[in-house]
Amino acid sequence: MRYSDPRLVQHLAAAYVLGTLGGGARRRFHRLLRQRPDLALAVAQWEGRLGRLASVVPPATPSPRVWEAIAARTRPAAPTLPESAPRATRGWRWLPGVAAFGAGAAVAMALWLTLPGLLVTPDQVAMRTGERLPQSYVGLLTDAGGDGKLLVSSLRHGRTLVVKAIGPMPAPATGRQLVLWAVPGNGPPFALGTAPASGSAQSQLPDTSERLLAKVTKLVVTEEAAGALPAMPGVPLYTGNCAKLW
Amino acid sequence: MNPPPEPNLQQLLAATARGDHQAFEQVYHRTHAHLFGVALRMLGREQAAEDVLQEAFVSVWRNAGQYRSQVEGQEIQPMTWLIAIVRNRALDTLRSAAWRREAPAREADGDDEGASPPGDATPSALELFARASDALRLQDCLRGLDGTHRQSLALAYYQGLSHREVAAQMRAPLGSVKAWVRRGLEKLRHCLSPGEPP
Repeated sequence: MRYSDPRLVQHLAAAYVLGTLGGGARRRFHRLLRQRPDLALAVAQWEGRLGRLASVVPPATPSPRVWEAIAARTRPAAPTLPESAPRATRGWRWLPGVAAFGAGAAVAMALWLTLPGLLVTPDQVAMRTGERLPQSYVGLLTDAGGDGKLLVSSLRHGRTLVVKAIGPMPAPATGRQLVLWAVPGNGPPFALGTAPASGSAQSQLPDTSERLLAKVTKLVVTEEAAGALPAMPGVPLYTGNCAKLW
Repeated sequence: MNPPPEPNLQQLLAATARGDHQAFEQVYHRTHAHLFGVALRMLGREQAAEDVLQEAFVSVWRNAGQYRSQVEGQEIQPMTWLIAIVRNRALDTLRSAAWRREAPAREADGDDEGASPPGDATPSALELFARASDALRLQDCLRGLDGTHRQSLALAYYQGLSHREVAAQMRAPLGSVKAWVRRGLEKLRHCLSPGEPP
């Protein structure tokens, strides 16, 4: 059916809105509505006319369960947090701003609130649901030519530092090692650990990244003598900014 | 200082479209009793009407951005849009195979009028149509409309009956019912100019 005759359009739109357009024709008409502004207009007009007939239908009160069910299916997330939730304040402060949290996150949050000992941190929740990257400090170190060589990352409240080689680098000479330094905006550089020339390496930090890196603006890699870490860096091989990923 | 004016339904729907859940709750709060009444009148069973209301509002939350206050210059009231969503959901339920399968069981429950609402005080579809004609001041315009036309239109609109169901309820031939409904709609169209305030 081509639905081109205006009288036919009127008739079908009226029957569609009233509900007397039968099975297959109803579905076909519904699909056509998206493509045909003339049909959409006729339907809107008929909804306006017939909608006025509904004004005299006596109102009725549904069970409060209806709204509860609707809210459960639509509420974006972010339950109000109990004041007494242990350890919660600091890590949770950013949560209300996270708009679109999935049901998985809600379940994980509930789990975390009821069983704080299970150590499901907000970062882990965020990672698991795939809604966002976890709060981390990251740095991309490049050589003098701007080519990316090393990727540094550490969870904001974690104590693990991951350094991954992302570009070809000459291995340090025997008896030498690559050392990663943090350079604060207003203080002397300090060594974070060694860096691999290929693959990735993981090391433990003496404190959380938040405490160590909050004021760090730059990351630097130098080649140093193997053994104990020196107090001051030598000539930088690779450099990059230290960024907060949140 | 005067308190700020309450947002109207149109503003609340716009806020809902931006993800404001409190605005959405306000939309529900202001409209659910009327919309539930419409669904209950069509389905005749509270549980089914509650299911329709729930599905309709979940769909409103997801599609609030599709509400347009105008379509091709035609003004659309928010309530009109909401009623259409609820009625379409209710019609989907009424036309579903599952609903039809359960029809004999519903009648066996003692609900011998099928889709009629519970309670003796409930006005019939024809009574509702008469009240609407009064409320909308259409009595004169609709005077020429035969009783059978009114009744078939009223059963289709308020109870969501199909042509076949209207024919069965009125014990009239299917072809006649189709003609009555069509004639009733044409008459209504002439009596109710679109966009005119009630």
